[in-house]
This record gives sequence, structure tokens and C-alpha cells, in this order.
Amino acid sequence: MGTRRLALAGAALAATLLAACSQGSATNPDAGSGGTAGGASVTLKFQSLQDQPAAVEAVKGIVDSWNSAHPEAKVELIQAGWDGIYDKLVTQFNGNAAPDIIHYEAASIVPFARDGYLADLTSKVPADLKSDISDGIWKSVTVDNKVIAMPTELQTYVVFANKKLLEASGATIPTGDSMTLEQFRALARATTKDGQFGLAWGLKSPTATFMSLALTSGGTFFTGTGKEAKINVGAGELAVPKLVKEMAYTDKSIDPVSLTQSGSQALASFYAGKAAMTVQGSFQAANIKKDAPAGLDWVELPPLAGSQGTAQAANPQTLSVNADSPNADKAAEFVAYFANAENTAKLNQADALIPASKKAQDLILSSTGGKDGWDMTMKSAQGLTGAPFLAVDAYTQWKDTIATPSFQKYLANQIDDAGLTQALTEGFTQVNR
Amino acid sequence: MNRTSTPVKTLQYLALAAYILFLGFPLLWLVSASIKSSQELAALDMSLLPKQFHWDNYAVALQKQGLTRSAVNSLVVSLLSMVFVVLLSMPAAYALARFKGRLRAVGVGWILVSQVFPVILIIIPLFIILRDVRLVDTLMGLVLVYTTFTMPFALWMLQGFVAAIPTDLEEAAAIDGASRFQTLRRIVFPLLMPGIVATAMFAFVAAWNEFFFALVLIQSPENYTLPVALKMFVGGEGKVALGPLAAGAVLATIPSLVVFSILQRRLTGGLLAGSVKG
Repeated sequence: MGTRRLALAGAALAATLLAACSQGSATNPDAGSGGTAGGASVTLKFQSLQDQPAAVEAVKGIVDSWNSAHPEAKVELIQAGWDGIYDKLVTQFNGNAAPDIIHYEAASIVPFARDGYLADLTSKVPADLKSDISDGIWKSVTVDNKVIAMPTELQTYVVFANKKLLEASGATIPTGDSMTLEQFRALARATTKDGQFGLAWGLKSPTATFMSLALTSGGTFFTGTGKEAKINVGAGELAVPKLVKEMAYTDKSIDPVSLTQSGSQALASFYAGKAAMTVQGSFQAANIKKDAPAGLDWVELPPLAGSQGTAQAANPQTLSVNADSPNADKAAEFVAYFANAENTAKLNQADALIPASKKAQDLILSSTGGKDGWDMTMKSAQGLTGAPFLAVDAYTQWKDTIATPSFQKYLANQIDDAGLTQALTEGFTQVNR
Repeated sequence: MNRTSTPVKTLQYLALAAYILFLGFPLLWLVSASIKSSQELAALDMSLLPKQFHWDNYAVALQKQGLTRSAVNSLVVSLLSMVFVVLLSMPAAYALARFKGRLRAVGVGWILVSQVFPVILIIIPLFIILRDVRLVDTLMGLVLVYTTFTMPFALWMLQGFVAAIPTDLEEAAAIDGASRFQTLRRIVFPLLMPGIVATAMFAFVAAWNEFFFALVLIQSPENYTLPVALKMFVGGEGKVALGPLAAGAVLATIPSLVVFSILQRRLTGGLLAGSVKG
């Protein structure tokens, strides 16, 4: 009797669950748009990766304003996450189920463009927007002379400093348009004393930082594009890793623990007054404002400059259009609308990132008055330029399997300059076969 | 009859307490992180007890990313996968364990081979097959995939339990006039209960924690399962909403705890259901 009752209860539960299952399966997964392209209203699917609540709201606002002005081409916002998005997109494109509008980043979207999955936006970019974004940033989203994505949000690497600790050391707090690597090193040395370090630099995954800051010393790492790319590791490429190593082992001005931490983890030493400065992504200004202890008087220092100025790699977040979308033109129109100065200013301010357009940068500067580090962040944005690594097919594989472990060994003083050069060069030859 | 001395007993309990603490510490830390403010989580001096209780993380976790809806989706998918895996693997495991022959060797070999393929290799063909039968972006599609991928191990696990039941019992039942079905229902099934419960728990947990298939096969936020929804607290550029993520993870453990507390009584209960006279 008991068993029969259990079986009946089980059957009832299974029926309920199956019913729940079918309720949750109403969505048509087929590629891109609903509706038709022939004049009737269409729905454009927009897969967004925004994660910060304020940025999510900003994107919703942009989509809502588009939808109310364009009832013929309604945009449906699909919120997805960054984690695993590459694999998801690979499957979506191969399964012909990719959305019409795709949010991603330049370094990772380029392979999809090479495979022919992304629409050419060259003629769809409004002339005023085209001229308002620097050539360096356009270069980062151009493949075979075609604009394959709209750059929307960027970051730079900047130095945050504890004003009181800098002043107490007797050092002059740098102002102006840039701070040389030598000035930076001297400042870290001057503020290192009594168990306090001059700098906390989270270099657990150092490749992106080194690739970007290498441009300040003319280090490009790669020449050529795609499979034909060649690697070159010379003085410019090694300038920043060498600086970090000398600061850590000769000057002892870098908190050695921070070299094994992520950027966010390294902030803890900065907050606790154990480190006078920290190098971080510019977006951390918002977190410092939110999480720093009440008494911490912090300031963002001028952008770092090497022998070639303040250049840094532009690897913007992007919006692309699915080449197979039946409504690619409308989708491109939405992308252009999304990228206008007012919209990207709102979005980047909410996300603490840097808009690609100069007009949007000026809007943020005027609405914030340059406070909370925005003035220096915008100065650092002037150096953003296209980086050769974005056009290298094997870059991601080289970065994950060769560069990051080699840089980690170098920072742990397990290999020297020659060893690092050899590891990076031979490793690339191996992965680029 | 041996009686353990008090000092030995005390040491045993101390060792047990230390082991439980060792196992439970990550969970305690998770609970602690879920009630800390972002300032406290970012501070250098860490403590298990928060300086101030910050319940907002739970409100944020519940409001954002559709956590409640994702939890319901996860529960539905996990329970159905569990039911299908158990129903399908029970007779198959019995056949594998009891019927000797060449087919059995081929079957066992196939189960082992099926475990070798990396998921990443089959995800695109799988996606295309599911798309063609309109099961992409559906919970039912996910149930089908989870059942398929959990089956081989569940089968392997359950056939070990079947093999451990002495055939003497079945022969005795046959002598007493029981049909094969009656033998299965009245003799084998009750003795197999711990194995079935262990397999059910395994199938449930495998479906509950699974991330990759859910990420790739589910397209609409209303169909996201918990692991996908929780991952959305981890943003680009290394941004992590640690407090809400911890709160979400704590909430996510509750349904599985409930299912486990219901099933674990049966895990031992079945052991007493039958025996061979010594």
C-alpha cells in the first residue's frame, strides 16, 4: 500500500514537473530576429553582457528609448554573462542561433569576424561618430579593412595613490599630463618604509597589463596579422616586466604578495595603508570610491609614460551585428544609435569605463567635473591605440598557455630576461603552427 | 564486550569535530561573506564574524538575475533528470549485473568509452540536433541531455549495488514460486534501495551543479538555471559582486539540502529491508 502511494505521489510529481518544463520552454531559439524583413515589424535580439546594476539599467534605458521611437524594429534585450561567453557564441554561430546584436570585446570578437560571422559596419557608422573616435580605437575593430564592431567601452591601466602617504614621504605628487616610469619608480621607492610598501600591483594574470603598457615603450610584441603574425620580444616589450622585477627585488618597493593577487585583491593593502600606490584598471575608481575606508584620501595619478609616451592598448567592449541576421541593416542602425555620444556617456559613467567617442568623454567630464579620478582617466584615454595582438589568431591560446605562466615565472624570479624572451618566442611558434 | 575508554572517546569526538569543521569551514566562510558589506569584503583584516550584518546582499541576490525563477528551473530540471536516470538505469543495471555474455562486455565497454569524450567536442553537434527537434532553450532539452550524460556513470554505480545482492535470494524466491517481476519488486528492489538513493542523489547533484550545457543550450534568461544565473554576478574586467554572489550561493544550497534530507533517511533505511541468514 505504502509503495503504491509512493508511486502515485511520484507520478503526480513527475507530471507536475513535466508541466513546469513545458511552461519554461516557450522561446523559439532560432537565429536572430523574429518577424520579417519586408516592411512588417521585426524583433531584434540583443545579447548584452552588462553585469553592473547601474550599467544594466543604462542599457535598458537605451533599448527602451529606441523601442519607443522605432516600433517597426523592436529590440529584445537578452541578458547573458561574461563567463563562458566565447563557447556560447561559437555554438550559437555554428548552430545558426546567434542573436542579431552581439556584445563582446575586440580581442575575442575578431576570430568570429575572420570566420565571416559578423556584418561589415563600415558604411553604417555615421560620419560624425566615425570622426569622433580615434583611428587607434577604430583599428582595434577593423579586420581586413572592414569595421566589424562598434567600440563602446574601454579601460586603461592607471595609478591610484594614498595622498597622505605620498605627502608624508616628502615626495611631490605628480600632476600634468603624464608620469614617466622613472618618476613612478622613484615615488614607490620614496614611500617604502617601516613595513609599508610603495606599491601593490595585482599581477596574478599579468599578460593583459604587460601587453597594454608595453606600448608606452614601443613594445608591440607582434607584427603581421592572423596566422602570418610574427612575435618580437625586445627592449620595449620587456620594459614594464623589467621595471616590476627591479622594483620588487632591487628596490623592494612592491608588496611581493600583491604580485600573486588579482587587481581587486591587491586593493586590500591599499585600503589598509600598507601600500601607498596601486596600479589598477581605471574602472576601479568606482570601487575605491565605494569601498575605501572613510579616512582614505586617494588620488589618481597622471597616466604612465615610457619612451614612446602614454600609449596603451585599446581593447574595447563592442557591439557587432550577426551577418546572417535577416534584419542586419536595422540591427546596424540600432548599434549606431546605441553608440551615440549621449548613450555611451550614460553607459560608461554607470559602468566606470571610458567611452570611445571624444564627445561622450567630454560629456562625462562635464557632468562629473573630473572628480573621482575621471580627469586622469580621460587623460589616459588619449593614449589608447590599436594593438597588434588583437589581430593575431593564436593570441588567446598564447596568452593563456605560454605568456601568463612565463610572466609569472619571471616575476617569481625563476627565469631571467633571456629565459622570458625564449619562453615567449618559442611558445608562440608552437601555438601558431 | 569492549567499551571504549572516556579519554579515547573524547579524542574521537575531537577528531570528528575537527573533521566536520574542516569540511564545513568553506560553507561557514560563504555564509559569513554573504552578510558582509563590500567594504568589509575588500578590507585586509578578515574575520569570520562580520563587524556589521549586511542583509542587503540577500535582497540584491533575490532581486537581480532572476534568482528565484532560476532556482525553480534548476529544481524542476534536477528532479526530472533524477527520476529519469533512476527509472532507466535500474533495469539496465540489473541486466548488466545479472546477464553474462558478450553483449554485456560490449555494453560495459561502451559505457566506459562514452565517458571519454570531452563535452566541448560534442557540444556543437548536440546543439544542432536539439535545435532540429526544437529542444534548444527548453528545460526539457536540458533534462534530456542531463539524463543522457548522467546515465553511464549511474548505470556503472548501480550495477555494483546489484552485483552485491546475492543471487541465492532470487533463486530462493523462484523456488517459492515468485515470477521474475515479483522477485525484482519484492526482493531486489528493497535491497537495492541504498544504491538507488545514492544514484538519485548523484543524478540530482550532477544536474543541480551543471553549468556548461545550461550556458550553451539555454538562450532566454527566463529559462536560466541557478549556476548560469549565479555566474552573472561575475562580470567582465574581473569585477565580482562578491556579497550578492555569496548570498545567492547560500540560497542556492537550500533546495539541495532539502532534497538530501528527504533522501538520506532512505539511504540507510534500505539496508535493513532484507538480509541473508548467516
